[in-house]
Amino acid sequence: MEAASVTQGSHAGVHDEHGHGPPEANRSSRVEPQLLGMLLFIISEVMVFGAFFTAYFFIRVVGGAEWPAEGDHLPKLIAGVNTAILLSSSFTMHWALESAKAGNRFGLQAGIFTTFGLGATFLFIQINEYVHLGFAPQDSAQGSVFYGLTGLHGAHVAVGLTLLAFTTIRAFRGHFTPTEHRGVEVPGIYWHFVDVMWVVVYTTVYII
Amino acid sequence: MLNPLRSEAEAFRFLLYVLVVAAVIAGLVLLGRALF
Repeated sequence: MEAASVTQGSHAGVHDEHGHGPPEANRSSRVEPQLLGMLLFIISEVMVFGAFFTAYFFIRVVGGAEWPAEGDHLPKLIAGVNTAILLSSSFTMHWALESAKAGNRFGLQAGIFTTFGLGATFLFIQINEYVHLGFAPQDSAQGSVFYGLTGLHGAHVAVGLTLLAFTTIRAFRGHFTPTEHRGVEVPGIYWHFVDVMWVVVYTTVYII
Repeated sequence: MLNPLRSEAEAFRFLLYVLVVAAVIAGLVLLGRALF
């Protein structure tokens, strides 16, 4: 059984000259499938965020409503510090991948672990902010949009942390080399996307 | 041309670009509010 599995595994995805094995998967793109999957996912996510931003701008621009709702207060300073924490995590992410490319295992491990820690800190501070805000999503349209936008982003951070957790474990197990590091590159692209979205969310929701 | 979805390095550069643009927009809006 094991021998059969090994034999089958060695021909996985290859339709050999004897007609054995599944046919080779069709590739209509020059981009590698793993990367293409993440690209399409991110493009769909941009559209999801776009829907939430439409609600935000509808309230403020079309509706002309006060932001935030009367009596509500947004902790700009704490959110600003949190923004710096999240942006720092993109720098450590970049450091991790550059280290992987250079064959620097310590840099890879330290970079990816620090990225995870900073991301987790961001999420913890955001949850703490929710607890102390003093208004709820059902209190006003502004509250709904605020929790919708920041919560949507928080969910993306949680997904990113899951990816980073796997990458961190793999890095400490000795995976990734200067030539094979897609497992760091793809989560890295996603993590920078999450940070880009936060820059937009923070600027529109907290600052402007 | 910058394509943030091509590689991590380009995504990182795109993040820095967005950061600068967001800071400029926020600065202009806050300045405009202070003046008018």
